[in-house]
Amino acid sequence: MHLLLVGLSHRTAPVELRERVDFQARDLQAALRALAARGSAREAVVVSTCNRAEMYVACDEPEPTRQDLLRFLSDYNEVVPADVAPHAYDLSDLDAARHLFRVAAGLDSLVVGEPQILGQVKEAHTAATEARTSGPVLNRLFHASFAVGKRVRTETGLGSGAVSVSYAAVALARKIFGDLSGRNVVVVGAGEMGKLTAIHMKSQEVRHITIVSRTMAHAARTAEAIGGASAAPWTDLDAVLAASDIVITATGAASPILTKAHIEGAMRPRRNRPLFIIDIAMPRDVEPAAGEIEQVFLYNIDDLQATVRENLARRASEVTRAEAIVAEEIEKFGAWFRSRGAIPTVVALRARFEAIRRAELERLDFKLAALPPEARARVDEITHLIIEKLLLTPTEQLKSLSDADTVGAYAEALTRLFGLDQDERRNVEPFVRPPRRGPR
Amino acid sequence: MNAIPLVLYGAAFVAYAWHFAQRRAFAGRTATTLLVAAALAHTFVIGMLTMEAGGVPVAGKTSAISTFVWLLALSYLYTEMTTDERAMGVFILPLLVVLQAIPASQPGVESHAAVLQGPLFGVHVSSLLFAYASFALACVIGITYVLLFKEIKAKHLGFFYARLPSLQVLDRMNQRAIVIGWVFLTVGMIVGGIWTAQARGLDPRVQAMSVQDPKIFVALVCWFVYSFELFAARRIGWGGRRSAYLSAVGFAIVLLNFVPISYFFTSSHNF
Repeated sequence: MHLLLVGLSHRTAPVELRERVDFQARDLQAALRALAARGSAREAVVVSTCNRAEMYVACDEPEPTRQDLLRFLSDYNEVVPADVAPHAYDLSDLDAARHLFRVAAGLDSLVVGEPQILGQVKEAHTAATEARTSGPVLNRLFHASFAVGKRVRTETGLGSGAVSVSYAAVALARKIFGDLSGRNVVVVGAGEMGKLTAIHMKSQEVRHITIVSRTMAHAARTAEAIGGASAAPWTDLDAVLAASDIVITATGAASPILTKAHIEGAMRPRRNRPLFIIDIAMPRDVEPAAGEIEQVFLYNIDDLQATVRENLARRASEVTRAEAIVAEEIEKFGAWFRSRGAIPTVVALRARFEAIRRAELERLDFKLAALPPEARARVDEITHLIIEKLLLTPTEQLKSLSDADTVGAYAEALTRLFGLDQDERRNVEPFVRPPRRGPR
Repeated sequence: MNAIPLVLYGAAFVAYAWHFAQRRAFAGRTATTLLVAAALAHTFVIGMLTMEAGGVPVAGKTSAISTFVWLLALSYLYTEMTTDERAMGVFILPLLVVLQAIPASQPGVESHAAVLQGPLFGVHVSSLLFAYASFALACVIGITYVLLFKEIKAKHLGFFYARLPSLQVLDRMNQRAIVIGWVFLTVGMIVGGIWTAQARGLDPRVQAMSVQDPKIFVALVCWFVYSFELFAARRIGWGGRRSAYLSAVGFAIVLLNFVPISYFFTSSHNF
């Protein structure tokens, strides 16, 4: 049994092609069934996200299967094969497993360490389980990849720290307020920037969003565009500030609209509950000195960008640790996977022994016929036990082999010594072969 | 006998520090397991002493410290299990280790006066010990609050930012610990007063008890500090960092009362 991966990702294919090769959009279940119906693979799981479309299969004949999967990739997505081929890659056996582990760990993602991918890999496996296209080999592989993803997440800082300005702002808000669900947000300024940030805050399920603008009509329009937000006139700014926990300022004003004195005034009725001010305007809307007020946390766009840079640097430094975890888990999975290489030989050997036993029992049937039924059953049982005893050690030894060359040598020797059926052990071939084209 | 929990507390401290630095789930589980083992061993030790002495070993400063450590370990474990936050352990454990070293170095059951029998005295000492344990937790939570607060204020999101829960959660935990501590402190002091009135005449030391005794005086100071903190947090918006600083000051006074004053200064309250 071989593992094979054929697919394309953001590393090899432009976005125009990735948009067209999208199993998720074309019904993943149907894709899995169509793939299984082709018969080239014994087991199949399709991982399809906006950044990758990858088919993981377990098969007997890697080369024809690889050709077939490539064809399927273009056929199913109705893309000309010549368009897909230059961007597709394929990996086999432990290289394919390593690739999946890196994907699950977030090491192969566009933004290294992003957390969604592990869930997407899990969904891919669930879909394959529901479509009944996954089997023992891919189940083992995918469960191992979940473990890798979980270990990388808990043991390294690869996924820690926000890597975009808006996420950095939300992460900070969470570090100050904990849960954001009971928090009020005010956006000062009705421009595009303020609107985008407000939409982002809304997705965090804050309690209420108020838009304040010098022109009430602008504020009302923006509030409507966001949905569920309300607009307030400029003259109400102080009252709105006093009732808010998070302030986002994004006006086009040339000089600060919120001074230190202004905010100090707003803090008094709040009884010093913390106030988080995000100043994304350029030039700034909030006087920097306002950050000195106790319980006021003032961040401007440069500060947020600086934390994003720090987080990116920290993630990069965690890559080595994550790669080490992948290597460790590949070692474990490899031992299991290679031990499967001996299975056809074990099966053939057992079949051979059993066949001899049956033949001999049949040949001696006329002698045994005189015996009472219990005695005949005893003979059957004893011969069976003898075979089991004889095969016990060889089976254990074969299963513990972890080196492909040794497995091959043993299989060869056993085939010759016991005259095993050539068809029965056709799967025993060297396992790790060099990849044709890597994703890097 | 107090040495076994001491060793386990020490081991748990190492594990908590390891968990704090590396953030490995395994280290965290090891730390909690060790602390649970330490608390169980400590429970056993206290149980043995109870049987030996024929009463809860809270009379006498050395066994009172041991009981305090035990209560603090249990309160911390409760906090950890209800909030699923292990970051505070690395701050609490050193306190447990240092304080537990005192009873561990002075083994044996202390003899104590007959006047110290009876339920009122037991309630007095146990509620005060529990109050002090709560204040210790509040202090540690307060310290972590200030550390995180400073990182966010300084816009340098680093070590503590990645490891501690949010300011809001820390503030709420701190307030809760102080409320619980304050209630027990109040109960303990009132019961102490009632007990003194009843036991007057039984022992010359009880006769001499008054607010002028340093131990009683400092306890009153403590009560005022924490009362002010609760009042300030609710009425004049002294939550957050100021509250955190106050809980550190309050606990410093508690600790002062607990060790040096008990051993060296008090004249009448020296059982």
